[in-house]
Amino acid sequence: MIATYRALALAQLQALSQYRAQVFIYLFFSIIRPVIFLAAWVAVANSQGGRVGAFGVADFAAYYVGIMLVGHLTMFWHAWDFETEVRLGKLSAKLLRPLHPVHYAVVENATWKLYTLLGLAPAIVLIALTFGARFTTDLPHLLLFMPSVLLAAALNFVIGWCVCASAFWTTRVHAVAELVNRAAFIFAGTIAPLDLLPGVLRTIAYALPFGYVIGVPAEILRGGTSLERAVVLLAVQATWLLIALLAFRMLWATGLRRYSAVGA
Amino acid sequence: MVTSDAAPIVARELAKTFRVHEREEGLGATLRAVVRRRYRDVRAVAGISFRIDAGEVVGFLGPNGAGKTTTLKMLSGLLHPTSGDARVLGFVPWERRDAFLSRIALLMGNRSQLVWDIPAADSFAVLREIYRIPEDQYRRALDELVELLDLRPLLHKPVRNLSLGERMKVEFAAGLIHSPNVVFLDEPTIGLDVTMQARIRRFVADYNARTGATILLTSHYMDDVVALCRRVLVIHHGTLLYDGALGRLAERMAPYKVIVVTLHDGARDLRAYGDEVERAENRVTLRVARERAPERAAALVRELDTSLADISVEDPPIEEIIDRVFSGERPVPA
Repeated sequence: MIATYRALALAQLQALSQYRAQVFIYLFFSIIRPVIFLAAWVAVANSQGGRVGAFGVADFAAYYVGIMLVGHLTMFWHAWDFETEVRLGKLSAKLLRPLHPVHYAVVENATWKLYTLLGLAPAIVLIALTFGARFTTDLPHLLLFMPSVLLAAALNFVIGWCVCASAFWTTRVHAVAELVNRAAFIFAGTIAPLDLLPGVLRTIAYALPFGYVIGVPAEILRGGTSLERAVVLLAVQATWLLIALLAFRMLWATGLRRYSAVGA
Repeated sequence: MVTSDAAPIVARELAKTFRVHEREEGLGATLRAVVRRRYRDVRAVAGISFRIDAGEVVGFLGPNGAGKTTTLKMLSGLLHPTSGDARVLGFVPWERRDAFLSRIALLMGNRSQLVWDIPAADSFAVLREIYRIPEDQYRRALDELVELLDLRPLLHKPVRNLSLGERMKVEFAAGLIHSPNVVFLDEPTIGLDVTMQARIRRFVADYNARTGATILLTSHYMDDVVALCRRVLVIHHGTLLYDGALGRLAERMAPYKVIVVTLHDGARDLRAYGDEVERAENRVTLRVARERAPERAAALVRELDTSLADISVEDPPIEEIIDRVFSGERPVPA
């Protein structure tokens, strides 16, 4: 499997190197969105004497720099590609090979993220320095961030593939993907850190999986939670991942029986 | 599940029904469809049975929508049948085991499976890893394909820069790089010019001869079928109408023969000898009931005497036979 992944990654890199403009556009928008939210929260904090709840300006900076990094590492975009593959029958070519279609996406996903991280990393450092971001220097927190961001990436990937599998029923996954994206936008911790969400919204955010994809790893990286709470949050991430995996297995097996291999 | 049946392809009462959403025209109907959808069952394959032995090249004939591609998709594991059963190389295709997928190929003339942005050679390298082909076997297979299809100048160009014919050749190589034992070909020469069609035909024949692979082929070009297949399956409205030798198809499907008479004097009326279907200058084509053909031909030779320049008795062209079947005329019982 390692040799297969290596070969797929090499092919992916060759294809990527031909589309440099796409990389620059992606980097620009990956940076600009969290910076807008960061600037807004800094303005709010400054108008309230430098703090909003437990967050000072340096904490907001650390949180949104974290969001930039976590958002990049956990991103999932394959639903649109998958819909096209189902609609045009291109999925059939993959289904005919002894390799589950998910593996192509795993490699594409990881290759793109690592490739573009080369451009994103300096920008993240620059923004962290500009806004004076204050991260934890506590080693256990930093060590917990690694599994947390990996679990988050895996969770978002599997949720994304559940959305993909809906294509077997709807052929068009746009509506389902849009619904999930809107919910994620509100509850993932992009608009505001989860702990700053008002009462009921905060409860909902911690009950849904989206916050565990973005907000939770960013908070652990910043050192915004206690060590004990970070471990509990990690356990919740793992539980959500397990649920998502089971859901995906079921959806995929049922969906494939319905697959009509249209167009090919 | 693996069975011990020796034939690489076996289908038993294989059937597939699709449920399709029915749409009527107009705004009213569109709005009604949002609230209440109407579905209709379409029977694409209505329970067909056949077996294909190792090394056979079999033509699968039928008009558009006859159920050919649906059958190929079931046999290659892309579709689950509604009922019936099939075994390909002893496997249930739609269980899609890796051991099964590693030994079959489904090539579709109008579909691409290669990555467009990279050269074919790099796609082949990826396929080598996916199919876990040992290095020496991969080299051998690639060399053979390069030679048979004359691929060397195309290997290092990005696929998107290739012409349709060049791309088809590369697609063939990609589909066969793992040396499958069973190959399903769906319209392999569609859209290609005559030279390229002939080349692909030669390649399929060579591949079959070299590897002993079992091949089931659909094509709208009768030349493909005549060149490659001694046996054909004829399917129409999801039902198998004929399974047998291509040479006997005419006997079964067309109860008549064609007598072509060339005269020194083109003005003679020959309608007493059979139905005149064509007259071009001195050449007259007559359609005669199969059992009466020898007697009519003898009479023509005897009675036309010196005004006869040439005469031949033939089966009708295969296209005409197929057209008769598909236009609703049923086969003659064997």
